[in-house]
Amino acid sequence: MINDKNSQKIVDIIQNWARKHSLFVLAYGTGCGAIEIPPTMTSRYDAERFGIRGAATPRQADVLLITGYLTTKTLKRVIRVYEQMQDPKYIIGFGSCTINGGMYYDSYNTIKVLDKYLPVDVYINGCMPRPESVISGFVKLQQLIQEGKGNGAKQYKENLDYYRANQKKIIPNWVMPDYNW
Amino acid sequence: MKEIKSKIIESIKATYPEATEKDYDGNRLDFYVNKQCVPSVLTLLKSGLGYIHLSHIAFVDWLEEGEFELVYIVWSPTDKLKIFVRARVSRENPLMPNIESIWRQANTYQREAREMYGIQFEGFEAPHDFVLEDWEDMPPMRRDFDTEAYADKTFFHRPGREDALDVREAIIERSREEIPDFAKKYSR
Repeated sequence: MINDKNSQKIVDIIQNWARKHSLFVLAYGTGCGAIEIPPTMTSRYDAERFGIRGAATPRQADVLLITGYLTTKTLKRVIRVYEQMQDPKYIIGFGSCTINGGMYYDSYNTIKVLDKYLPVDVYINGCMPRPESVISGFVKLQQLIQEGKGNGAKQYKENLDYYRANQKKIIPNWVMPDYNW
Repeated sequence: MKEIKSKIIESIKATYPEATEKDYDGNRLDFYVNKQCVPSVLTLLKSGLGYIHLSHIAFVDWLEEGEFELVYIVWSPTDKLKIFVRARVSRENPLMPNIESIWRQANTYQREAREMYGIQFEGFEAPHDFVLEDWEDMPPMRRDFDTEAYADKTFFHRPGREDALDVREAIIERSREEIPDFAKKYSR
């Protein structure tokens, strides 16, 4: 029965509905934006009513938040973290630093355009975004998941060569393990 | 405070007559010394006069004069006085004496100086990477390092920032505010 096209559609809808209501966010902050996560998670804004919760390790998490500027040194760690995460996985770029460099547009040590190095599903603009806009970004991600469009991980897998070339351009000493699941 | 300061100036000058001092209001006193004297002046301050705490080592790049300045800031909990020991070293061959044997925490500051300014220390052994990783260009905190050109060369840029307004000019435009002449030269 499951090979039937219509049945698959129903399974997908149920699967996406379940996924969208249990987003486990990796507790990993890279820049100043991580300071907006505690108020988002705690009682005042209470992100848990959307099913958004913290996860301790990358292998248990669904969502990777890049909260602000990303130095080349941290990018290396973030790539390792992202490749360890298991499907389904999504990235939210947080703040203007991930979009175009923000106030660090001329810094020698931070990347300016995050989506050249990692696939970003949703960008939240602002410097810093308030908890309201963080939640609105998560709601947008939930919409994408419901429509089956949250496919950053698939994009990364299919265009790995492109992303690797960009990553190796700024990380010359590439000593990283391969996570190929 | 006056008596303490004059006592310190006296005892430093007795041993190092070429050192010059500059007095500031409050609890601050500066000494300008030769770079060879730095370890012995700091040893005298630490073991002879009770300045047991190394607060910081700061680095200044005097690009126009072709010199780096190192500022050793020491503090005495009994005198409640900060002493700045300043020494200059040429930019071409920046080799400074190592003070790690006096204060072990100087290790961190010297690593920072080596990585960010390219200042070398005699007989200094520490892991090479401190904050940066795989850095191959000029030390980035030197003033002749062009950070914007480096960023253009190394990173991708998203188009759309080209028409960004200069903040000062935008304020003048909008509110007809007068800004002083010296501020105008910092406009983009």
